[in-house]
Amino acid sequence: MKTRTTIAAVAAVMAATFAGHAPAQERAITVAWYGGNWGDAFKACVADPFTRATGIRVNAEIGTSTVTLGKLNAQKAAPSIDAAWMDGGISEVAHENGVVEHLDPARLKNLGNVEPAAVYAAGGVNFAVSTGYYAVGIVYNKSKVKAAPESWNDLWKPEFRDAVTLPSPSNSAGVPLFLFLHKMWGHPPGDLAPTVARYKALNAGLYFDASGAASNAFQTGEMIVGAHFKAAAWDLIDKNLPLGFVVPKEGVWATDARLHLVKGSPKRAMAEAFIDQAMTRESAACLAEKLYLGPAVTGVVVDARTAAKLPWGEKGSVKDLKLSDWAEVNALRPRIVDVWNREIARK
Amino acid sequence: MTRLPAFLGALRRDMPWPLLAAPLLFFAAFFAFPLAVVLVASVTAADGGGLTLAHYARVLLDAYHWDILWLTLRIAFVTTAIAMMLGYPLAYYLVRVVEARWLRRACVVLLVIPLFTSNIVRSFGWMVLLGRVGIVNETLQGAGLIERPIRFLGSETGIVIGLVYILLPFVVLTTGNAIAAIDRRLEEAASDLGAGPAQRFRTIVWPLSLPGLLSGAVIVFTLAVSAYVTPALLSSGRVTVFSMLIYQQYASVFDFHYGGALSVVLLVATLLLLWAAAAIDPTRRRT
Repeated sequence: MKTRTTIAAVAAVMAATFAGHAPAQERAITVAWYGGNWGDAFKACVADPFTRATGIRVNAEIGTSTVTLGKLNAQKAAPSIDAAWMDGGISEVAHENGVVEHLDPARLKNLGNVEPAAVYAAGGVNFAVSTGYYAVGIVYNKSKVKAAPESWNDLWKPEFRDAVTLPSPSNSAGVPLFLFLHKMWGHPPGDLAPTVARYKALNAGLYFDASGAASNAFQTGEMIVGAHFKAAAWDLIDKNLPLGFVVPKEGVWATDARLHLVKGSPKRAMAEAFIDQAMTRESAACLAEKLYLGPAVTGVVVDARTAAKLPWGEKGSVKDLKLSDWAEVNALRPRIVDVWNREIARK
Repeated sequence: MTRLPAFLGALRRDMPWPLLAAPLLFFAAFFAFPLAVVLVASVTAADGGGLTLAHYARVLLDAYHWDILWLTLRIAFVTTAIAMMLGYPLAYYLVRVVEARWLRRACVVLLVIPLFTSNIVRSFGWMVLLGRVGIVNETLQGAGLIERPIRFLGSETGIVIGLVYILLPFVVLTTGNAIAAIDRRLEEAASDLGAGPAQRFRTIVWPLSLPGLLSGAVIVFTLAVSAYVTPALLSSGRVTVFSMLIYQQYASVFDFHYGGALSVVLLVATLLLLWAAAAIDPTRRRT
């Protein structure tokens, strides 16, 4: 009898506690973003100021772009995610799959802050907005590579045999960089064979899936030259490793991290307010400082040290970036992955 | 004929359904349902056009997939064989040779501790050790044993080394348990009857510990066949195993139908091998 009374009392206290918290729980949204320092930066630059300004809590749903897309597809009927970051390329697939909502300029007052090219539209629907650009260029080990590489073609120098790295198709940059080089070499569209032959002749020591694997290989000296993300390269350079980042004469390949409103979110207004926060100059400047993301928001001022690390360098702009035609990349993706597996990822 | 209704009656009467409900629900929600989703995707057309076996035809009629399946199984076989060869003496040593109980416990803790660390961290550790400029190559070069660094990363050897390290504890634990459970009086009796140490091992310890060794081998083999993280990191993108093909379809290409067919093919191939292993299991006759 005593036990029953105790259980009833505990249940009553718990019910009262949860009932008391119910209104606060409703003032929360769930936002999908990436792990590691990217997630930390999105929290510090967007979510925290948003919560301070509105009192709305932000719950993070951590995952890569592809994992987030998987979740959105699975939750189509009743989404638990209200807004989601996904990279260029995956963003287009999310739109095709019908899981993202139109970003209505009438409801998002800061959409006008963003470069027109950074609002992605198809068929009159704004399906994504960029929160910043990032680039892939050449990283090299200054103590082991005598002359700094100047061109993507320098990666094919015989002295780099077994010590050069490129992203694999499992990495977000793998397939688009393959097509970027395919075009740079002037190979005929649709005929992948000549580019595959060039890749096979590279004798790469590592085709990296995760960018952390590339960072690790540069850090240990296992790889001395190769393609890598500029922001990751600066993280290593800032740790006083003897590494340099080069913008090859043919340009860097670049893409962006985009924010999306999830279709069917029951908290649409709050999610829109969150996206509005991401499009403020303060949030964009903060992301530029923390992740060296090139701002898509106009009129963002950053200090000279940060400016040098942006994807377009100190004086450039988004116009200097070689962005992918994602419709083309996504259409060729299965073929490139297949031919890569058969020809390149086999000893 | 009468056995089945009797069996069902026994099920109704004696099964502790309330106790079983939780694990059954868990199993249904987190194993059976996701597996069913994969199965359904593997036999449906991408454009929603009904049932098809096209994805299986694409997998099975292509020599490339058989090559990758064989490579994956080869890596799993070699990993299992090495883990058994290293694991058995280690288990024997821990159970029979180490006298002090505290030392034995300390050894078991040392053996189990790596299991608490993520595979990713441990694989990164091997990348540092096995690299072109890693400790292993530098030591071999320093000793004048090799001129050029040996390529461990980006080869089957590197993947096998990583998998053996990660999976060895499973063999040691199952075999160690089996050896510890052997009644020492059997060996004393054999000794009284004139059997020497080698004969006692061959006729008593080995056969009685074999089920433990084999169950460890089954665990290692199934985990090695389906391993993703270790092969993905230690292959340097130069060797492809089956799980990597599956991952690409789900995470990069988004073809869940082809990915589903690849998954089912790997599952069926593994189940067939385990069934074959069970059929020729030398310990079966005694049980």
